[in-house]
Amino acid sequence: MSEPVLELENIVFSYGKGIDPALNGVSLSVGRGVKTVILGANGAGKSTLFGIMNALYRPDKGTVKYNGVPYVYRKKAVTRIRTDVSILFQNPDDMLFKPYVGQDVAYGPENLGLPSAEVEIRVRDSLRAVGMLEYRDKPTMRLSYGQRKRVALAGVLAMQPKVLILDEPTAGLDPQMASEVMEIAEQLHRNGTTVIMSSHDTDLVYSWADEVHVLMNGRCVYSGVPEGFYRDKNSVYLAGLLQPKVFLMNEGLATLTGCSVEPYPRTRSQLVGKTIGSGRGCGRLYVLPVPGMASDETVVKALSVAGISDMPKGIYGRSARKARNIASVGIDYMYDGPENCFLKCMEGKDSLLLCDPDMVDIVVSMVSVMASDGFGTIECSVLEPAEKRERKTPKK
Amino acid sequence: MKDVSFTHSSALPNVLDSINLSVTKGSRSAIMGANGAGKTTFFYTLMGVYKPQKGEVLFDGEPIEYSKKGLSKVRSKIGMVLQNPDEQLFSTIVEEDIAFGPMNLGIPRDEIDIRIDRALKDVRMTGYRSVPLHQLSGGQRKRIAIAGALAVQPEVMIMDEPTAGLDPQASLEVMELAEKLHLRGVTVLVSTHDVDLAYSWCDDVHVLRHGKCIYSGTSEGFYSDRENVYLSGLLQPSTYTMNREIALICGTDESPYPRKVCEYLSKIGKGGKTPGTVYLLPYEEGTGLTDRLSKVPSDARVGVYGSDARNQASDERCRVDFYFDGLDSCFTDAVLGKDSVLVYDSVYSPLIEEQVAALKGFGSDISTEVVM
Repeated sequence: MSEPVLELENIVFSYGKGIDPALNGVSLSVGRGVKTVILGANGAGKSTLFGIMNALYRPDKGTVKYNGVPYVYRKKAVTRIRTDVSILFQNPDDMLFKPYVGQDVAYGPENLGLPSAEVEIRVRDSLRAVGMLEYRDKPTMRLSYGQRKRVALAGVLAMQPKVLILDEPTAGLDPQMASEVMEIAEQLHRNGTTVIMSSHDTDLVYSWADEVHVLMNGRCVYSGVPEGFYRDKNSVYLAGLLQPKVFLMNEGLATLTGCSVEPYPRTRSQLVGKTIGSGRGCGRLYVLPVPGMASDETVVKALSVAGISDMPKGIYGRSARKARNIASVGIDYMYDGPENCFLKCMEGKDSLLLCDPDMVDIVVSMVSVMASDGFGTIECSVLEPAEKRERKTPKK
Repeated sequence: MKDVSFTHSSALPNVLDSINLSVTKGSRSAIMGANGAGKTTFFYTLMGVYKPQKGEVLFDGEPIEYSKKGLSKVRSKIGMVLQNPDEQLFSTIVEEDIAFGPMNLGIPRDEIDIRIDRALKDVRMTGYRSVPLHQLSGGQRKRIAIAGALAVQPEVMIMDEPTAGLDPQASLEVMELAEKLHLRGVTVLVSTHDVDLAYSWCDDVHVLRHGKCIYSGTSEGFYSDRENVYLSGLLQPSTYTMNREIALICGTDESPYPRKVCEYLSKIGKGGKTPGTVYLLPYEEGTGLTDRLSKVPSDARVGVYGSDARNQASDERCRVDFYFDGLDSCFTDAVLGKDSVLVYDSVYSPLIEEQVAALKGFGSDISTEVVM
């Protein structure tokens, strides 16, 4: 268990005198770097809880601690808390209030009193991260809902928070955009941000979360690994939730074949691996780190140096995705790259994942989890990054 | 829709661009597409709210007339639930809002009362008839918006992102309701971003991209074309992907395509388990459940499907194991060799027969026994 970054102790909060408390004695602790999901039915208190974490609301009772220090509700202190603990609201229109995209994203960092050169870097980086850099000078009003949601996310990213709260980040987004948002969340996690999110998408949450906290009628009724919660069907129903499909299918599989329910597959590829059983030969997964600035030629060159030509190719990470130059390489999987590449390897084929350099470790650890949990033994080779050309042999 | 184009202003590009699309009477259709593909505009054009600059919209073979009379005829036959309930609800009290549609159609007050009761029952909001709308949560307002569309008793029901923002249980209830409408003979059109949900439910998918309809047909026909799926801002449903991969790896047939948990397990179990029996308890108003539940094996788990059965089961305080997702859960138990009990609104009988027949195709010959 990692040390707690946010601790809530016995929080009681009501929106007004005589109104039933929205939170009624919530205690929970969020570990640093733990991918945390807040689950609960409509009206369970999720958004209120986020408001408390973000110091938007002051609890009637109880304490909130950040890095062990209790929140102080004075203007300056609150600003400091919100700099570190930022929130992306469900509705982007609650967040955007400047006429132009670039101004909106710059607003937060400017308010922090950062030098304009630094503001400029942050605006560019965060707009690039959400794939909206070319909209920088566009009026926010003219954007679609999905685009506004991404601009709102950029605004939060520009604050470079230590803890990022995402309230229903994929709601209203089409599947591809939702998948991109999850990729951004993964990447932020990888780079040291503690990411907390709420979502009604049971399957999505299950594939992502390290830990879940379940709210019911303003109380926290479960904190721990998702399986500990989903195993108890009655509690799941009472909380207004459902069990993930992958979880149910795995339970059924265990009954059918007599195998153990553990280790629990969380993703499609893991479940497929468990269903077909071990002992089949898998193909090799090649991982090519692609820095954001990599040019078309360097990618093609890196692949030819490694002797890779015709195999299914996927993408993972925001800079690899934004490096439009790789289009000529022929990408088969623009979304869910790792999942699709793993599945190809399980078919016995080799596959290639073009990946942000900072995401390589995640992919390598996913592959090793699959092997150690018995879902499939995929050999993995990390190639030399696209920009460097000195060495010619792939590094294993 | 024949060759329909629509734009909000001649200076802007077409939101709908020569759309040809036809919806079969009585079918369950999903309208899919990325944000901005034109789904909502498509619905408004179907309703006659927007008049296309080019092409025509036919209802029952007749072109829509954009006169006051013509439009009110269309709106008496097509009900629509908007994505955001706040754009739909404008009265102060729940019952007033639901009454609005039928009143405009000139339906007598007694009949309207009956319809309000029925609609509130369908969305499980019976106790909220005289409650001010502003006291309701987002999820509850969505239910009232659906009730308002139901009270019109339309022949076609359009639901724009009906599950967006709803928690998982509420989403399932909405889809149960869509099934119920389908079984009552209503043509149901649902737009959604949830590819898994659409895949488990619809007969046909219509895919919009940049204002054009680029695919109409079975889900599998669309999802097998990965390039097209990708260009349309969508992803393949996870059940579809897993089935295809297992077929590829094991050298088995992709078809039949499992769409639900019970079907998936039936397929991978290959009939290795002797299936259990599903005891069926159809619920109709005026019948009880407790007596009938005492006639079934006590170790069989009990699932509920349908709003009336759910209300009744909670009124009678019946033992229920699967309060939501009862149909899939009960058949999953049967596939896994366990007996189960399914309590459901009697209108769903054809759906259950469909499920039994489908599972036979996957290798599980499930026996059912109706308990009266």
